[in-house]
Amino acid sequence: MNMDEHHHSEIEEDSEIKDWKKRTYLSWIFAIPIAIFMLSERIFGMSLIPENYLAIVFLVLAFPVVFIFGFSTVRGGMRGLFTFYFNMDSLIALGTIVAYLTGIFSYFNFVSDYSGVSAMIMSFYTTGKYVESIARGRASQEIKKLLELGAKNARILKNKEEIEIPVSEIQLGDIMIIKPGEKIPTDGIVVKGASSVDESMVTGESLPVDKSVKNLVIGATINQDGILYVKATKIGKDTFLSHIIDLVENAQSSKIPIQELADKITGIFVPSILVIAMLTFAFWFYITKDLSKSLGISISVLVIACPCALGLATPTALMVGSGMGAKRGILIRKGEAMQTMKKVQTIVFDKTGTITKGKPEVRNIQTAKNVKENYLLEISASLEKLSEHPIATAIVQRANLRKYKEVKEFKIFRGRGVEGNIGRKKIAIGNSLLMKENKISLKGFEKAIEDFESLGFTVMIVAENKEVLGIIGVADAVKPDSIEAIALLSAQGFKTIMITGDNERTARAVAREVGISEVISGVLPGDKAKKIEELQKQGMVAFVGDGINDAPALKQSNVGIAIGSGSDIAIESGDLVLAKSSLLGVVQAINLSKETFKKIEQNLFWAFAYNTVAIPVAILGFLHPVIAEIAMALSSITVVTNANLLRTAKI
Amino acid sequence: MALEPNTKSKEQEKMKYKISISGMHCSSCASNTEKSLKKILGVKNANVSLMTKKGIIEAEKEISDEELRKAVSKVGYKITGIERE
Repeated sequence: MNMDEHHHSEIEEDSEIKDWKKRTYLSWIFAIPIAIFMLSERIFGMSLIPENYLAIVFLVLAFPVVFIFGFSTVRGGMRGLFTFYFNMDSLIALGTIVAYLTGIFSYFNFVSDYSGVSAMIMSFYTTGKYVESIARGRASQEIKKLLELGAKNARILKNKEEIEIPVSEIQLGDIMIIKPGEKIPTDGIVVKGASSVDESMVTGESLPVDKSVKNLVIGATINQDGILYVKATKIGKDTFLSHIIDLVENAQSSKIPIQELADKITGIFVPSILVIAMLTFAFWFYITKDLSKSLGISISVLVIACPCALGLATPTALMVGSGMGAKRGILIRKGEAMQTMKKVQTIVFDKTGTITKGKPEVRNIQTAKNVKENYLLEISASLEKLSEHPIATAIVQRANLRKYKEVKEFKIFRGRGVEGNIGRKKIAIGNSLLMKENKISLKGFEKAIEDFESLGFTVMIVAENKEVLGIIGVADAVKPDSIEAIALLSAQGFKTIMITGDNERTARAVAREVGISEVISGVLPGDKAKKIEELQKQGMVAFVGDGINDAPALKQSNVGIAIGSGSDIAIESGDLVLAKSSLLGVVQAINLSKETFKKIEQNLFWAFAYNTVAIPVAILGFLHPVIAEIAMALSSITVVTNANLLRTAKI
Repeated sequence: MALEPNTKSKEQEKMKYKISISGMHCSSCASNTEKSLKKILGVKNANVSLMTKKGIIEAEKEISDEELRKAVSKVGYKITGIERE
């Protein structure tokens, strides 16, 4: 069942629109003649049919509109009235039935005929619902796309033969074959082949990602140019895509504090209106002794009072917002975070892996006179190739050699460096401690070493036969867009703080590079949450970090923004979760939540305004029931349309 | 991706259900359904979304499909799918 589940909701939505459409058209076939008769009588003062027959014609024409095409509304509403689970159908049902009955009673001449009005009300109601269902469908279009994202079929290798099977039949460990242009059926690990993969649909990262053996790939992403052989590691509900869908659906039903008041009002709305309508009737009848007029006014009250706009205000905006987010790899896990985000002034960033790439890179090289940089890198990489230290990897990557020199008598000195012989030359690469032990003079490089260190680099000194050839500065590089992201946030008035376990000097260097003025350094991983707590004494704090190591800090902060990269997304922590690791995503997430919340506020304002104005106006008798129904339908449509306008916001 | 350990449900004695509901077309429909679900014995929390046509139910004990279906049909709607977590 789980497999079909997602398709189901999609079909449900479409069939709802179709159903309302059919009911709308059929209703109007009968309601339009009624409208013509009513208008000709009202405006031109002449009846197209003898007046005696008019009531019967109305009753006959209105019957199918109210009781056949409006059957589910009338039934639902009446059930609501009898079971005390009132819904908005109860109001429409009561309004139309009372109006219809006046047509029968008018025969006895003590009340004027509203039966034509009943058909008009039901037709406008149905039309309003039809338009609203289309708009609601549009509000969820991104989410719908997400649900349809998954591949349908997979080609797997079975007994050395390629066979095609539905995705639901993939077993863990199956080897899938994915040709260029095809969707990767499910999450897995590349076992053969290399290609680049377009992951934009799930991570929002626009550039294709290179994949080769041992890389993880995400189901539903698209293989670009090479053939990939992928072993399935996650299937069904455990896949990345399933988790994203789950997250979006959960967020949709998470409550936002600002909606609480609206929910409370919605809860007592219908019974209150029933009482108010009765009081209105009693009041007008007492004053005017005019049964027809009193009935007309209370019917207006019944049909204009709909809590629908109030109820739609938040969910529709949230739906559009989370859909826009999902498209960009931003997942709103808790709707509440959007309201809190409005009050956040301080954003704390974890350093390693958040502001920086989380792995060291060669940042600068200084060689002695007469030494070429290429030569320095060549001998360094040849030695470091034999080590597995992250700094060694950084040097090997930078050198990017095709052929390495042969190294003999290679030795690793933990915490100091490496040594080895290339030909007859004795090479040592390491920190100043290693040089000191080898009695190698750093003369001429003291200044450069100091400069590198002040930039937060780890300095590797390369010596050949006791002579320094040059130094290599290695550091965890800042992500390319961190600087831009921090600048954008500062421009928005946020105070930015960096938190790290590094020493003050390294931390300051990175902070300076990205434009953060405040640094909290030397913090043990376990103490980050405590530091956040201290900062919270001065106001709301958002924390940006990876969800794996920083989970406690993410939880402690008022808004936890968890960043991930590819399939390493940490879904369980964080109020906002990013599928991509770029800090610009954080800016987008913050903008998105602000804009979405703004829409929610606007919607609630309009919905409240509509009800506070419309109900008194109806009570005072200024609204014809048909006009009341049109106003009601428009209020819901306005709210949903306004939610859809969120898409025009700049994120 | 941090997957929930299998022991979780045992530790917290918490059950989670996700249901698909058809027939709801207004926000009071959703809130009525929510109210009705919350009345089931053992249900701690229920959230029904009009937009996704889905309900998420958290319970302290096992709730039978029958109970869920009854609670939803009482207010006039139909369950079209139940997912247990």
